Amino acid sequence: MTDLMNSKKPQWWKSPDVKKTAILWAVCTALVGYVGTEFHVRSIVEPASETMSGVIDLMRIFTWAAAPVAGLVFAMCLTVLTSKRHYGDNPPAEADHQISNSPRANAVWIVVSALLCLFALITGLIVLQKDSEAVLESTAIQMNVTGSQWVWSFDYPNGARSEDLYLPVDKPVVFHITSVDVKHSFWIVQMGIKMDANPGAITEAAVTPNKIGVFDVRCAELCGLLHAYMQTKVHVVSQSDYDKWVTEHAALEGRA
Amino acid sequence: MTTLMSKPVSAPGKSIIERLNIVTALVLGAVSAFVVWRLALQFLPGDTEVRLFTREDKITLLSMIAWFVGFMTGIGALVGPFRWLMGKDLSHDENMFLAGKDMGINRYFRYTTDHKVVGIQYLIITMVIFGIGGILAMLIRTNLGTPEGGWIHPQAYNSIVGTHGIIMIVGTIIMVTGPFGNFIMPIMIGARDMAFPRLNALSFWLIVAAAVPLIWAQFIGGISTGWSAYNPLAGQAPLGMNGYIMFICIFAISTMVAGANITTTIVRMRAKGMTWNRTPIFIYGIMASVALALPAFPVFFLSQVMSGMDRALDTSFYNTAGGGSGWLYENLFWIMGHPEVYVILIPAVAALMEMAPVFTRRPLFSFNVAVMGIAGISGLSVLVWAHHMYISGWAPLLNAPFMLTTELISIPTGMLFLVLVGTLWRGRLWMTMPTLSIFALLWNFMIGGVTGIYLSDVPADAFLHGSMYVTAHFHYTLMGAGLTGALAALVYWFPKMTGRMFDKKLSWISFWLVQIGFNVTFLGMFTVGLAGQPRRVESYASTFNTGNMITTIGAYVIMVGMLVLLHGVISSWRSGEKAPMNPWQAKTLEWTVANPIPLENFDVLPTVTSDAYGYGKAQS
Ligand code: HEM
Ligand SMILES: [Cu+2]
Repeated sequence: MTDLMNSKKPQWWKSPDVKKTAILWAVCTALVGYVGTEFHVRSIVEPASETMSGVIDLMRIFTWAAAPVAGLVFAMCLTVLTSKRHYGDNPPAEADHQISNSPRANAVWIVVSALLCLFALITGLIVLQKDSEAVLESTAIQMNVTGSQWVWSFDYPNGARSEDLYLPVDKPVVFHITSVDVKHSFWIVQMGIKMDANPGAITEAAVTPNKIGVFDVRCAELCGLLHAYMQTKVHVVSQSDYDKWVTEHAALEGRA
Repeated sequence: MTTLMSKPVSAPGKSIIERLNIVTALVLGAVSAFVVWRLALQFLPGDTEVRLFTREDKITLLSMIAWFVGFMTGIGALVGPFRWLMGKDLSHDENMFLAGKDMGINRYFRYTTDHKVVGIQYLIITMVIFGIGGILAMLIRTNLGTPEGGWIHPQAYNSIVGTHGIIMIVGTIIMVTGPFGNFIMPIMIGARDMAFPRLNALSFWLIVAAAVPLIWAQFIGGISTGWSAYNPLAGQAPLGMNGYIMFICIFAISTMVAGANITTTIVRMRAKGMTWNRTPIFIYGIMASVALALPAFPVFFLSQVMSGMDRALDTSFYNTAGGGSGWLYENLFWIMGHPEVYVILIPAVAALMEMAPVFTRRPLFSFNVAVMGIAGISGLSVLVWAHHMYISGWAPLLNAPFMLTTELISIPTGMLFLVLVGTLWRGRLWMTMPTLSIFALLWNFMIGGVTGIYLSDVPADAFLHGSMYVTAHFHYTLMGAGLTGALAALVYWFPKMTGRMFDKKLSWISFWLVQIGFNVTFLGMFTVGLAGQPRRVESYASTFNTGNMITTIGAYVIMVGMLVLLHGVISSWRSGEKAPMNPWQAKTLEWTVANPIPLENFDVLPTVTSDAYGYGKAQS
């Protein structure tokens, strides 16, 4: 942007509007970064797994990475808006230059956006890799999840079955998800995992809950009349409470 | 409507061409639909199958097809081809009649080929669509404004959401390319009309024909699947789904016809001397938009044909029980769906790029980067569709490559920002509603684009997908960026299209109301999405009350702003200040023709010797 000035003048950065923009840029970047992260972090749910904490960290990082770019655009807008404005029905005098390009500004802009893009990609890939490996974890509890209009049901390894989910804390779990009618989407909100339940196919998702408490399961794909009500709870409990609960419930199903 | 001359139609009906208009079309359409419906009811065999709807589906689809054929025949779409087949092609007089010569207001209700008439027709139908879509939006927001959901029955609510979604998508697809692409574009490139004037009329009347099945659908169970009409849900949905299917099929034909017409016009009919380097950026925007729609909409068409066949003919494209797959539908839908969002966005941004030099009195900054940005977005946008399917489980291994292509799009998108801020920088700001809109676009599209990057990140999308966050993201892009550009275009080209200035005060008031209301609405919606509210729900947990309340209040502010705008359109059109030939002192060709514009725009076709951005004082 910067060499829009007449290139014969060497010290373009000394011009007052460049200085003003530079200050505004710093201010806007700080504001966008701070307000943007606070906006997300304060609105988002309390995490109940590493995965979800990771999502929140990602939002922080991405917001701060985007802040300088957004900040520059907003700063330039502010500089323009606070310089001389013309109201009225006839056009103002022509601008006092005819500059229609700046190869240097173009190049800088494109290189910077490519770098930011690369950064976002790498950050995403690292986390993605971790998440995909989690599905292969052999010590995990293998849980079958079935969506049907409009309830979730859960089948535990020992034959127990329930409509609200019980999980032990700090133990990896892999969900094998399917549906008996239309498409649903299995979302454990506070754990930051979601996977569609497709009729005729089994999909997988994995997570390790790290907090004892009660959390939400919601259906995240429109699935007909009572889609809004297709929700249930996850009870994350200690390992011993979990063992007790599944044994009792397996007995209820007559499979103990 | 002062540009219209009001001479009565010439001597009463000789040829069939002169008899056909919207009334004959409606009558013939309704009669055909009724006849086919009775016949089908009588003769179609009953079902032996367990399927609930199959026979009714056949009857509904057949009647809708009959409506479509009847309507198009009644409006006169077949006259030309028929006469050609008989070896008696239309005479010059007949062609002039079709172009609407000396026909006054009547030409707006016929198969008129003049691109200016088609442009106005598109403008009106876009406004009607936004009006209806807006009312539906207000129903949705009112229902969600009260804690613990609402007073609308879930079936009706789902149908309102689906109908709102699809007609707003269609409205935004045509909002720039329809009115301004038809009315302004040919003049801007120095042409007398479009390359295929009759196809132009065809593309408009197809949209009118398409509207009826959609209205029809509301009375036979509605569109309860959301605008994306995923299968197998759509296979299970009531008969109204057939209305959606027919609507999409006809609209897709309209888009393809318009696309072929507009591309040919731009490639072949630019004025002498208008090389690609001198072609205004708005033309590039229109061109990219329809060039993207051309491959995308046949896929949409096909996806719905298959959906209709699954319902009516018991095929199993998407039906798992019969060996089909819902993932097939999702793929087809988004192969259309992602290019389609740029079909919407690009011409709106290009319109603002066209205005930026005018209202800053300096050249467009980096024309080549602008063209590159538009081309880059168009190219990449056909490679990213599966970012809508990260969570579908369809192909987890493809998530990484689709994340790559999606994030790459931010590079050409960034170029559009560079061009706009670059043009504003050190310009002489002439404060008008379009000028303000450039700033509004930069703000809204920044939010839309950055949230798009969060969504494109697979792990983050595992949380965000299917939530209100996505809804807020795409409203920031479609409405905050797209519609903002289209409204600016309306104010900017209003003087040329109607011969009158748009009331300045009203344009400002509505601008501020709409923009403030918009940001309140959708910032609020981001917060409930982050807090875990799924989209398309008619009731929600009490934790989401505050956010939803804010969103609903914002929506009412938008509504007031839109009503002010509507008032501005009507009052300025009827009694606004008469517009001079070139009120903005702009340099593109459409401002060189007189108001009202003569039937064939130019007596002598213009010759172009430079680009249209020669503003600014030459450096000493
Ligand atoms: C910087 C550019 C953008 C990126 C990276 C981006 C990314 C995404 C992603 C990843 C999704 C899927 C979210 C999900 O369903 O989980 C999405 C949804 C969507 N985006 Fe964008 N987007 C961008 C710009 C746009 C633009 C310009 C438009 C329209 C003008 C748009 C319209 C939409 C729509 C309509 C949806 C949701 C469709 C639906 O599920 O109903 N996006 N976007
Ligand atoms: Cu997309």
